[in-house]
Amino acid sequence: MPAKTTATGEPLDAATLRELRAIVGAEHVRHADGDVTPYARDATPLFRARPGAVVHPASTEEVAAVLRLAGARGVPVVPRGAGSNLCSATVPLQGGIVLVLTRLDRILEISAEELLAVCQPGVTSAALADAAAAHGLLYAPDPGSRSVATIGGTVATCAGGLRGLKYGVTRNYVLGLEAVLGTGEVIRTGGRLWKDVAGYDLTRLLTGSEGTLGVITEVTLALLPAPETAGNGLAYFPTLADAGRAVTRVIAAGIVPATLEFLDARCVDAVEQHARLGLRRDAGALLIFGDDGEPAAVAQRLDRMAELCRDTGAIEVSVAGHAAESEALLAARRCTLPALSRLGSITILEDVGVPRPRIAEMVGHIEDIAQRHDVTIATFGHAGDGNLHPTCVIDKGDDAAGERAHDAFGEIFRTAMRLGGTITGEHGVGAAKLPYLTERLGAAQIDLQRRIKAAFDPAGILNPGKAGS
Amino acid sequence: MTGFTPDLLNRCIACGFCLPACPTYALTKDETSSPRGRIDLMRALDEGTLPADDPRVREEASFCLGCRACETVCPAGVQYGDLLEEWRDQQWQGSGRPLVARLLMILVDARWRVRLLGLLRRHARTRGGRPEGPSLMLGCFERALFPKVSRAARRLFPELAAPAAQGCCGALHAHNGDSARGRRMAEELGRRLPGTIVTTSGGCAAHLSSVLGRDRVKELSRYAYERDMPGGAEPSRPAAETPPGGVPAETADRPRVALQDSCHLRNGLDVWREPRAMLERIGTYVELPSAGTCCGAAGTYALVRPRDSRRVLDAKLDEIEAAGVDYVAVVNPGCYRQLDQGLRRRKSRVRAVHLAELLAGERPRRREP
Repeated sequence: MPAKTTATGEPLDAATLRELRAIVGAEHVRHADGDVTPYARDATPLFRARPGAVVHPASTEEVAAVLRLAGARGVPVVPRGAGSNLCSATVPLQGGIVLVLTRLDRILEISAEELLAVCQPGVTSAALADAAAAHGLLYAPDPGSRSVATIGGTVATCAGGLRGLKYGVTRNYVLGLEAVLGTGEVIRTGGRLWKDVAGYDLTRLLTGSEGTLGVITEVTLALLPAPETAGNGLAYFPTLADAGRAVTRVIAAGIVPATLEFLDARCVDAVEQHARLGLRRDAGALLIFGDDGEPAAVAQRLDRMAELCRDTGAIEVSVAGHAAESEALLAARRCTLPALSRLGSITILEDVGVPRPRIAEMVGHIEDIAQRHDVTIATFGHAGDGNLHPTCVIDKGDDAAGERAHDAFGEIFRTAMRLGGTITGEHGVGAAKLPYLTERLGAAQIDLQRRIKAAFDPAGILNPGKAGS
Repeated sequence: MTGFTPDLLNRCIACGFCLPACPTYALTKDETSSPRGRIDLMRALDEGTLPADDPRVREEASFCLGCRACETVCPAGVQYGDLLEEWRDQQWQGSGRPLVARLLMILVDARWRVRLLGLLRRHARTRGGRPEGPSLMLGCFERALFPKVSRAARRLFPELAAPAAQGCCGALHAHNGDSARGRRMAEELGRRLPGTIVTTSGGCAAHLSSVLGRDRVKELSRYAYERDMPGGAEPSRPAAETPPGGVPAETADRPRVALQDSCHLRNGLDVWREPRAMLERIGTYVELPSAGTCCGAAGTYALVRPRDSRRVLDAKLDEIEAAGVDYVAVVNPGCYRQLDQGLRRRKSRVRAVHLAELLAGERPRRREP
C-alpha cells in the first residue's frame, strides 16, 4: 500500500496528533507553523518541505508506538538526527512526521575489554569519540561534521570522513543495531561479536539505508586501541592534479596513511579566512598527509611521504611540529565546506568517488567541465580514498548560474561513473542524488531495492520519495 | 518587508555546526531552539511565510540567550548577534517587549537617573583634579549593585578617571529591541568620556566596541594585561612570575580560582586569555569545563525568563562546587549577580568575586555552609 501523501506543511489530523501526544507527551509533539519550519530542511541547499508535525521520542517503545500509529494511518515518517546530512536525506518530501532522535542521547557502555561501545542514536559522533578516548580507545569514523552529526545519522548515511583510507567508513564499525521497522516491529541485528554469520547481514543493509528501512534506536560500535601518536604534514603543489599524482605515488609506495586530504587554491583561501592558520595562499593546491601509530613509525612514514611529495614537484613541504598544530589543521580541513560559503550565498557540494589511480584525471575533468559550463567549482576531498568534493558557489537568485551548475554536476557524475566511480562516496543519496541512482545501479537493482523496502516497510511510510520508493 | 540586512541573513548555509555550541539547544535538543533554526524563523519572517505574531517566532526571539557562542564555531562567519538585534528590533516593539526590559530601559535612559542609581552606593568617583589616564566606565547597574567593583578598579589603577555623570552605554537597549537608541547612547557616552574607556563589564565592552571601535574600549583584564605588556603582545599562555604594575604579588595565600567568561567578551571580542592570565598571578587557576558557556544571566534574561535562566545556571553550579575552588571570578556584572545569587541559594562556600576585586587584593571570606 502506498503511503498517503500528506501535503507538506499541512498539519496532521486532530486524532493522530492526540494519539502522538499520548505516546510521547504533549510537549514532544509540535505542529504549529513556527515549530516545524526549521525541520523543512537539513544541511542540503535547495531542498525544502515542511512536515506536518515534529515528534521527539525518548525510547525505543515510543518510536515503535509512533511507527505503528503512522503505519495504520498511512502517515509518512522521516527519522532525523541533527540534520547535518548533505543529501537532503531528512527533508520530509511528502510531509508527515519528522521523528527526531536527539533525546535518545545516552552512551550506554564503553568496554575496553571487548573493544566496543553501545549507544543511543542521538549521541554525537564527537561525544562518542571523546568517551572512547577517555578509555584509551579510538572510534575511527571521523566525518567532517563529527561535532554535530549523531551516531544514528552517521550509521543511517554510512558516513565516511578523513580517515577512510586506513580505517574505512562507518559500516566497518557497526557491529549491531536495534531498529524499528515500518511495521513497528523491533529487531536486533548483529551484536557484540566480530564473527557472526547467522543469517543475512541486515546490519550492513540498515547501515546507509537513510531511514527508508527502519528507525535505528541503538547502535553497537567497534572501537580500536587509540594510536600512541598522530602527526600531519603539509605539501603545496602547483595544481590539484599534481597533488593527485603525489597521492597515487604515496599509495604505490606501500604506505596506507590515516590522512591524505587535498584542497585546491580556492578552498585553502576560504579555510584560511576562517581558521587563520597561516596557510600559503599562492599555491595551486594543498595536500595534508598524516598518519598515526607508534611515534618512530609515524615519523618515518611522514618523512617518506614528504619525500615523495617533493619528488612529485611540491613547492613546499613541512611537517606539523606538535599534536595541537596537527589537530588545528584537521579541524580547519573539516570546515572547508561551510568556509567556502564565504565566496557566495549558495554552496552546492558534491561527493563523487573514483578509483584511486584516476584521481588526477578526474580533477582535470572537473576543471574542464567547470570552465565549459562557466561556473566556479572549488574542489577538495579525501584524496587517499578517491572521494572528491567539487563544490559550486553561486549567488542566491542567480537562476542561470544555478542551471549551469546543475548541468555541470550532471556531467561530473557521468564522468565519475565512466571512470569506474560513483555518484556519492559518503554523503548519501537522499533526494539529491535520486535522479542519478538508476544510472549508477541499473534497473534490476533498483527493482530489488523496492522489493526489499516493501519487506521492511510494507505501508511505505518510512522516508517516502527517497531510495526504494 | 522586514528589517533584516540581506547579507547577514544569507550568510548561513545551514551546516548545523552551531548546534552543539547553543545552550538552549542543549536544554531542548530541538532544532527550532538552535541558532540554525532561529535563522530559519528569521528567514520565514523575512519572506513572509511566518507572521511576526507567530507564537513560536516570538518565543524563540525571547528564549535565545544572545550569548553568541554560535558565532565562534560558525565556519561561514554568520554574525548571529547582529541578526538577533535586528530580530528583536522587529519583535520587541511596544508591548512586544518584556515588561522588565521596558522598565530597565526607561530607568537607564536618562543620565540623572543613572547617576542617582549610584549616588548612595559610593561607587568610585574622581572629583576635582581629574587623573590623566583613561576613563573608567561605571556602568548603570554595576554602580548600583556592585559599587565595590569600580572602587577596586580605581585602587588597582589610580590613573583612571571616574566622572559620575557619564550615563549608560546602551547595551541594554541594543539587546532588547532598540538597537538605534543603543547606538546613540554609546556615541553619547563616547563623547562624554573622550579617549580610552576602561570597563569592568564584558557586555558593555562588546557593545561599546561595536559602536566606538575596538581601539577606544578596553575591558579591565585586557587593560591590565596591556598595561603590563607594552606593545600589546597577545597573551598566549599565562606568565605567572611578574606581577603587573599595581597588582600586589600574592605569595603566601594563593587561593584556587575559577573563571566565568563573559559571553560577549569572549565570543564578541575574543578576550578570554587575558582574565585567565591575570588570575594565574594571584592564585591557582582552575578551568571549569563550561567556563566559556553562558551562565544564564544574559543581560535581562535572568529577569525576563527566570526559570530558563536557572536551568542554564544549575549545571554550572554543580561544576563549580565539584571543582573545589575558593572563588569563581567574573568579568561582567550580570554574571556577578547570577553566580552570587545561585551560590547563595545553594549555601555554597564558594564566593563569586569580580576579577578587579581579586586583583586589588580582596579575599572575601568563604561562607560557612
